[in-house]
Amino acid sequence: MTTTLAQTPAPTATTTWRGSGFGTQVLVLTQRSLRAVVSDPRMVVFSVLQPLIMLTLFSQIFSSIANTPGFPQGVAYIDFLMPAILVNTAMQSALQAGVGLVTDMKNGVLARFRSLPIRLSSVLIARSLSDLVRTAFQLLVMITFAVLIFGFSPAGGFFGVVAALALALVVGWGLGWVFLAIAAWLRNAELMQTVGFLAIFPLMFASSAYVPITGLPGWLQAIANVNPLTHAVDAARGLALAQPVTGAVAAIVTSLVIAAVGGAFAVKGFRKPL
Amino acid sequence: MTDLMIEARDVTKAFGDVRALDGVSIEVPRGTVLGLLGHNGAGKTTLVNVLTTLLPPDSGTARVAGFDVVGQAHDVRSRIGLTGQFAAVDEQLSGTDNLVLIARLLGASPREARQRAGELLELFDLADAAKRPSRTYSGGMRRRLDLAAGLVGRPDVIFLDEPTTGLDPSSRLSMWEIVESLVSDGTTVLLTTQYLDEADRLADSITVLSEGRVVASGTSAELKAQVGQRSVTVTLAAAADLPKAQRSLELAGLHPVLDAERNTLTAPVTASRELAVVVRALDEVGLEASELALGEPTLDDVYLTLAANKAA
Repeated sequence: MTTTLAQTPAPTATTTWRGSGFGTQVLVLTQRSLRAVVSDPRMVVFSVLQPLIMLTLFSQIFSSIANTPGFPQGVAYIDFLMPAILVNTAMQSALQAGVGLVTDMKNGVLARFRSLPIRLSSVLIARSLSDLVRTAFQLLVMITFAVLIFGFSPAGGFFGVVAALALALVVGWGLGWVFLAIAAWLRNAELMQTVGFLAIFPLMFASSAYVPITGLPGWLQAIANVNPLTHAVDAARGLALAQPVTGAVAAIVTSLVIAAVGGAFAVKGFRKPL
Repeated sequence: MTDLMIEARDVTKAFGDVRALDGVSIEVPRGTVLGLLGHNGAGKTTLVNVLTTLLPPDSGTARVAGFDVVGQAHDVRSRIGLTGQFAAVDEQLSGTDNLVLIARLLGASPREARQRAGELLELFDLADAAKRPSRTYSGGMRRRLDLAAGLVGRPDVIFLDEPTTGLDPSSRLSMWEIVESLVSDGTTVLLTTQYLDEADRLADSITVLSEGRVVASGTSAELKAQVGQRSVTVTLAAAADLPKAQRSLELAGLHPVLDAERNTLTAPVTASRELAVVVRALDEVGLEASELALGEPTLDDVYLTLAANKAA
């Protein structure tokens, strides 16, 4: 190596780079996060496997709920369940955006980014966008499985499913900014996982996700009625089942507000020195 | 026009009650290497973080490549390279992808970025591993990739924060050769290290930090003259005898420092004949060393001497 070094001419100062545009920064950093996912196929497999197991378990364990009073007439349980699973998976995935950010902070990659002439918000936006792409991939795989294996075929048809998918992505993306904000302030992956799990898990079950609200005990109904997730799930379900949809616009607006507030806190927290 | 590439004036930085930097001033002329010597917690990394715009100073000013690190952070960032204590490479990405990423962020076109990545991988002997994910690299390879990442933008000033800590001797040597070749190309380098031999080999001038203050600065030769060439370490069988031995060595004109945990006294000496002084002094008070060692100067000796000089 010594000889190679000795023969190497002095770096020519012909090209001096003084920083890239904001769009390039976001694009390059998004590609980077996605490449990291693709380069490790195990990550892709496991990220899809876990929601698939949930889909299998819930569709089998709770399928008899479709025969109980209060369950919408003429709707198969898989068609009832699938939109909720989509929203749930998008939320779990949102947590991963925060975990990924903390990991970058820990291994020093972010310290390097901070020493480069780039805007720090591009790092956050890239993280959020790559997570959106990853989640979309996950959800598409799940929908394919649900259609092929569990006979998922809701009344809304193709466009109903696409609409439910889009809604789940918007909700997950909005929540992703909350987890990015938490990550930027907490800066601890284990704590992130715990906080996320504690937040997501009760919300999922105290909602209309797995059983109709009327099938829940009274106190749980009260919680489920004010649980924002109930509204997101109901909206996604309404779109998929081609039922009158009340909450879709509200769910999207709420998600955008959450994204804006979360984003502001995330950028603020992220600016703090390491 | 001043040719100082790094210039810090009275920089202070506190974390809670800890004054990590307590009025530090340094100057590094273009094309030279400053070795920043100090123990863990001496403030080396904090100073590097201030100079690389990662941390704003509480007070004082710092300019790098002529730009203020607070007011002109963007200009500073486009002219520096940073290699940290922990190799900051994306483990999921290959060597090539890591370098292309940095080049693209700096403003290179995709073609330029690939070309620059290829050049650097060749230069750092990583061409064979270019396509492998960097998580499969050895520690030395990772550190070289990290240094390469710091050089992508052909920076005017390079900050190396303990670049050889944790490296095996041969990787250490090749890292030194890389730094030497950079300097011969006219790059200005600030290097932090815990090892005197590293600073000795690479640095044009050395600044010693302790508890956030500059306690000494000068060329390696000047510092060594202050430090003395060697130190004597006396190990005693019984800890109870340590204070007695310490007094006798002090009477003999030495400045021993007591380490109760290891039952040792360490004193800087200027010549090896002072070993005899130590033996005689111990003999006079009826003590015998269970072990007597003459050590090459270390960073500890720098501190010991500086502390002793202050006391005298």
